[in-house]
Amino acid sequence: MSYIFFVVKAAIEDFKRNKTQTFLTALGILIGVFSVVMLTALGLGLKKYIGDQFSALGKNTLFIAPGKILSGGSFNTLSSLSTIKFDNRDLMRLKRLKEIKGISPTFLKQTTAKSENKSEETTIFFASEVFFDINGFKIKKGRFFDKNDIDKKAKVVVLGPKIAEKLFGSIELAIDKKLSANSVNFIVIGVTESKGGGGFGGPDYDSYMFAPYTTGFIFNPEKNYSRFAIKFDDNYSISQVKEAITKELLKRYDKDSFSIIEPGDILSAVNSIFGVLNIVLVAIASISLLVGGIGIMNIMFVTVSEKTKEIGIKRAIGARKNDILIQFIVESTILSIFGGFLGLILAFLGTLFIQRFFPAYIEINSVIIALVVSSAIGIIFGVFPAKKAADLEPVEAIRHE
Amino acid sequence: MIKFNNVWKIYKIDKEIEYQALKGVSFEIKEGEFVSIMGPSGSGKSTLMHLIGLLDKPTKGDILIKGENIFNLNDDQLSTLRNEFVGFVFQQFNLIPKLTVLENILLPTIYARKKLDYDPKKKALELIKRFGLEGKEYSYPNKISGGQQQRVAIIRALIMKPKLILADEPTGNLDSKTGVEIMNLIKNLNEKEKITVVLVTHELDIAAYGKRMIKIRDGKIVKS
Repeated sequence: MSYIFFVVKAAIEDFKRNKTQTFLTALGILIGVFSVVMLTALGLGLKKYIGDQFSALGKNTLFIAPGKILSGGSFNTLSSLSTIKFDNRDLMRLKRLKEIKGISPTFLKQTTAKSENKSEETTIFFASEVFFDINGFKIKKGRFFDKNDIDKKAKVVVLGPKIAEKLFGSIELAIDKKLSANSVNFIVIGVTESKGGGGFGGPDYDSYMFAPYTTGFIFNPEKNYSRFAIKFDDNYSISQVKEAITKELLKRYDKDSFSIIEPGDILSAVNSIFGVLNIVLVAIASISLLVGGIGIMNIMFVTVSEKTKEIGIKRAIGARKNDILIQFIVESTILSIFGGFLGLILAFLGTLFIQRFFPAYIEINSVIIALVVSSAIGIIFGVFPAKKAADLEPVEAIRHE
Repeated sequence: MIKFNNVWKIYKIDKEIEYQALKGVSFEIKEGEFVSIMGPSGSGKSTLMHLIGLLDKPTKGDILIKGENIFNLNDDQLSTLRNEFVGFVFQQFNLIPKLTVLENILLPTIYARKKLDYDPKKKALELIKRFGLEGKEYSYPNKISGGQQQRVAIIRALIMKPKLILADEPTGNLDSKTGVEIMNLIKNLNEKEKITVVLVTHELDIAAYGKRMIKIRDGKIVKS
């Protein structure tokens, strides 16, 4: 143990003498560890972001969408293109199911919303009053629309906080104001709390507007629905509910033309996609770790030939082959851990910076893996040069000038 | 203590040419002796020294150290013998430049496998004082004179309390006055501390310090 201490101390002093060379050698590992940890942090952040979006969804909820969107836990991109369209008949039939407590048909309308002096590109989400509960929305100011508004086809609208600020300057000022979309005048009755996010393929609810679906028929004369959001009775299990819905819909459609989606399904599909994505990213970043390791091996071979005389002297005064082997493995390992540590610090700083606009975060696991991998690289790539050093003939080594 | 029995060392230069550095050398060195091995350059005396110092193995013939044939010893056992049994003093001093005087002296104790029955640092400081190097403990080898460096090398050779000091042209890089001082130190080690000394040199006046002389020429002993 005291020998290891001696060797570590000697190695660190050597590195202090050759600061530039040490840093350049460690740079390979630094970049490798930095990219692995950084990419993992981004991947985890993305996964967490999407996971959060789904965890905001209320309990006992389901979605029905046309097409076969999910199959076996992953998104099915091919058949989601050919779709049926749901209509009022489907809504009425589903409403009659005893398992279903609340149902909201939904459809979207891209539009330009105009306040008195501003206009903004946005999307109107047409839904029923249960939509807010199903999707876990909270009201910040004013109120949601209710059953009464649906029945009266009231021209009322609830705004996301972002669009409210853009159109009216502040959330408070938006309430009871008028806005128009495609020449239809709405009254703002409420602003939701921020749900965060947007921008990565997920819906940016903060920039959306929400209005009663009955009112939305102005823009949708065929009265088609692109989706149903469902709140079911918790006396029934999710599979019972799915079975009942499937049975009902099969009366009109074949089994491949609609999907019943649980938030958990989407989450696990998202997770499986990001799992694969993360592996691919880490694999690519690992190539730089490999290159870094080869850099260390290269410099260690140089070091061994520079230290041939020293090895000869040490062997002459009694160092065993193993003592020499350990000396060089310790040197390469320290180099590699040093690089790994710097890479980690840099990744921490990088993550802190990125967190200002993206929820990246570093898991303790990636820290441990980074340090374990970089020491492993030091040992693995240090073995060949160290073996060469240990196997030098004492006579040859001590004669070396 | 050391016995050479018809020892040959043959170097293969390439497939067909070989060079016979030692051609059947036999001699014995007893405990407490001071033996000079003398010969011109190319006579095989360096090869002989490497063999005595266990840095190399013969091509054929037997070398017995304390009755043990070195062919029966593995690399670790040979390293241990170099560590505990032999103390080297080289022509070029062979100190490690990045280590201080004290660190150089203590280096053999780092590789020691046996438990030392003394405090190596205390002993090192004691020897430094005795050899007149006080104040140089934390100097680096390139900051002290050649004579001082050779003293450091001698202290390093002594730190493990060896049975044998093996000195290879110890005065070769020193002026004659310093050379005499160093030789007197070595002579003292033999006379007062009963350490066996083997001195390898090509200079007759240096060889004369020994009590017995082995002359070697063309890989053969001409006088023992």
